[in-house]
Amino acid sequence: MTRHGQRLLAITILLTAGTWAASALTVSIAQIDSTGLLIHQSVNAYVSVTDDAGEPVTNLPEGAFSASESADGVRYTTLPVLRFEPSAGANEGICFLLLIDNSGSMYDAADSTPTSDPAKMKITHAKAAVRAFLASMTNPRDKVGLVVFNTRYRVLARPTEDKERIASALDQITKPVPEEAYTELYASLKAASQEFAGIRGRKAIIVLSDGENYPYFSHTGKPHPEYGRQVFSHTESITANQEEGVTVYGIDYGKGEIMDRNLRTIAQDTGGRTFEAARGEDLSGVYEAIHRQVAGEYLVSYRASTTPAEKKYLQMAVKDQGNETSATRFYFSSVVFGLPLSSLSPALVIPFVVGLGLLWLLTFVKLERRPGPANLEVLQTRVGHPMTRILPLSGTKTIIGGSRSADLTIVGSPQVKQEHATILFDPKDKSYTVVGSGDITVNNQPVKTRKLEPGDVIDVGGATIVFDDSKDKKQEKP
Amino acid sequence: MTTVTSRFIFLALGFLGGLAAWPAAEVILSFQGGFPSYLAFLTLLGAVVGALMGAFFGAAEGITSRIKKRIPSGLLLGALVGCVGGALGALVGQAALWLIGGVFLLSYRNMQWVVLPVSRAIGWAVLGVFVGAGEGVRALSPKKIAVGVLGGVLGGIVGGFALEYSRLLLPGFAFFRLVGLVILGLAIGLFYGLIEQGMSFGVLRILAGELKGKEFLLSERRVRIGRSPRNEIALPSYDDLADLQADIRVKKGEPVITNLDDRVAMLINEEKTQERRLKLGDVIKIGSARIFYKYG
Repeated sequence: MTRHGQRLLAITILLTAGTWAASALTVSIAQIDSTGLLIHQSVNAYVSVTDDAGEPVTNLPEGAFSASESADGVRYTTLPVLRFEPSAGANEGICFLLLIDNSGSMYDAADSTPTSDPAKMKITHAKAAVRAFLASMTNPRDKVGLVVFNTRYRVLARPTEDKERIASALDQITKPVPEEAYTELYASLKAASQEFAGIRGRKAIIVLSDGENYPYFSHTGKPHPEYGRQVFSHTESITANQEEGVTVYGIDYGKGEIMDRNLRTIAQDTGGRTFEAARGEDLSGVYEAIHRQVAGEYLVSYRASTTPAEKKYLQMAVKDQGNETSATRFYFSSVVFGLPLSSLSPALVIPFVVGLGLLWLLTFVKLERRPGPANLEVLQTRVGHPMTRILPLSGTKTIIGGSRSADLTIVGSPQVKQEHATILFDPKDKSYTVVGSGDITVNNQPVKTRKLEPGDVIDVGGATIVFDDSKDKKQEKP
Repeated sequence: MTTVTSRFIFLALGFLGGLAAWPAAEVILSFQGGFPSYLAFLTLLGAVVGALMGAFFGAAEGITSRIKKRIPSGLLLGALVGCVGGALGALVGQAALWLIGGVFLLSYRNMQWVVLPVSRAIGWAVLGVFVGAGEGVRALSPKKIAVGVLGGVLGGIVGGFALEYSRLLLPGFAFFRLVGLVILGLAIGLFYGLIEQGMSFGVLRILAGELKGKEFLLSERRVRIGRSPRNEIALPSYDDLADLQADIRVKKGEPVITNLDDRVAMLINEEKTQERRLKLGDVIKIGSARIFYKYG
């Protein structure tokens, strides 16, 4: 298995993909690999650094990077870097989700004038661009999914390696009715972040849109069929994508000034960028640019702390020409036992002592029955049930049977006669004898009458009865 | 002691084991940040929790068989096996937690309610496997190991979920780990008893004498009967028996009893016999011991 193959994703949630500093460097933590955490106490971070134009910056030295961790996102501790490797981006596939604007304006011409010629419509160009994009996908491990949005958000194909499926799904895109023609850009970007379920590695949304967020509720005053009166802000789509580690790339299908003013921020804050593109060839350039960005990532491996936290914030700071830019993302650091208590009480000694004390007491518990006087115990019955389970023998005659007036009554069994068997006591030699008026066995041998010994098993019409007379026997012992 | 009582003892021991392991776990957890690595931290934590729970379960055999001599060795061996098992369980469980959390993470939104509980339950199940198998390792019985493993897995899963959901449903509840550990112990005890019975070939019940009413599960391929406390069915107070008087082996899925010492006669259903396949309802007499073979 290759080093990349062994790489397993940590649960990483991108918090802030880097602040856009004057030096125009954008830092983002593309992936956190914490598989070495248990054995080596190390965490690998794949850090992407891009310049103002969104091009990867690949010539930074090790000293430019510093890793620090925090359990609360407030207090950070700097940690030693164990390994540094430039251009270490994984050759694993990237999962793309193409998010195509299918609002009314996409059926206008590129100069935003209405047209009835499908060849002039922006949507036609967008579809062609997507086909070109699919054709340009060279890494067989890449996945791609297709979503269209307008008033509604609709998944046409979940991420798949089968590019043919995406190409044929494109044909399902049709012009929306006016009610459906709004542009729920932010809501859709937020929803799209959830389409990467179960997918590890680099995740990217490429949104092709010709305009700005144009929510249904804000512009019609009517509740949206799904979102109701909720109007989404662009920060919500940023947070959702950061949390899922999704990088957003925006493709402007209209003229630059019409493009949603926040799309650039959404892209930058998630580690991506926007492109002005109108032609299919441009979109294949986008594909290459994204792969180039991933390939240019730095591997920064550092020694992690053991501070208890469900999730640990990693802050990766990059210093370049006196300017420091950083990105924070968190990974899953929960331990099987959970988090420690906020404070330890001396009272904790109590359950410990109680536990040990009760164990000690348990060793003294005598659960055996004391040898009692002669008795009969019904162990089991095939049919029916006994009125009494244990019957001490008293008197000279004990009747076992189905009759209510019997001393030991077995009810509900047709095989048990009213007076099925009798136990007779002989005071002379203090012995007991069983006499059957119906069929009985003693120790599985059919008998009519039989002198009983302790432990003998009498079967009375399917009821198993044990005779015991241990007390007398004990008293006889010298 | 009947098999029902034995199961109660197992439950009680599981409960007490969880009770005693809890404070130890809390103390170690409070020093987590001071450990140089997760490896060291989890090894110690798992070892201590495993040792305590293992010790409690290790005492079970001595308590239920009423042979006190077995208790200290059972405790010690249970603790040792539990210690190793607990450490391994904690590490494997942690690896499972991080692996599942990392690879199979569906979405961060699912983490609190699905990923964390599922992966923690798996972690606890692994821990349960080792704690549960401890008694079998101690007794060198593959069957008991299998019983313990199954009991531990089920107990661990149930306990793990209990731990996780008690934490989620009762935020700020300081005793969530106590609840989880106690349920873990109870569940291991419960499933151990249930599975041991389910995998057994029946029960031998002592009908008379000092151990009257005591029931032994035939859960191993060979069960020895005699006065020596080393026997699975140890009858020390039945003076006329040999140290190793008889054994029951499972042959072709059926138990066969063999008298191993001719000085004492063995009667099955009043017939003198040397070796015989046991049928449910058989009454076995060996010297002063009377044993009834029954189902469950």
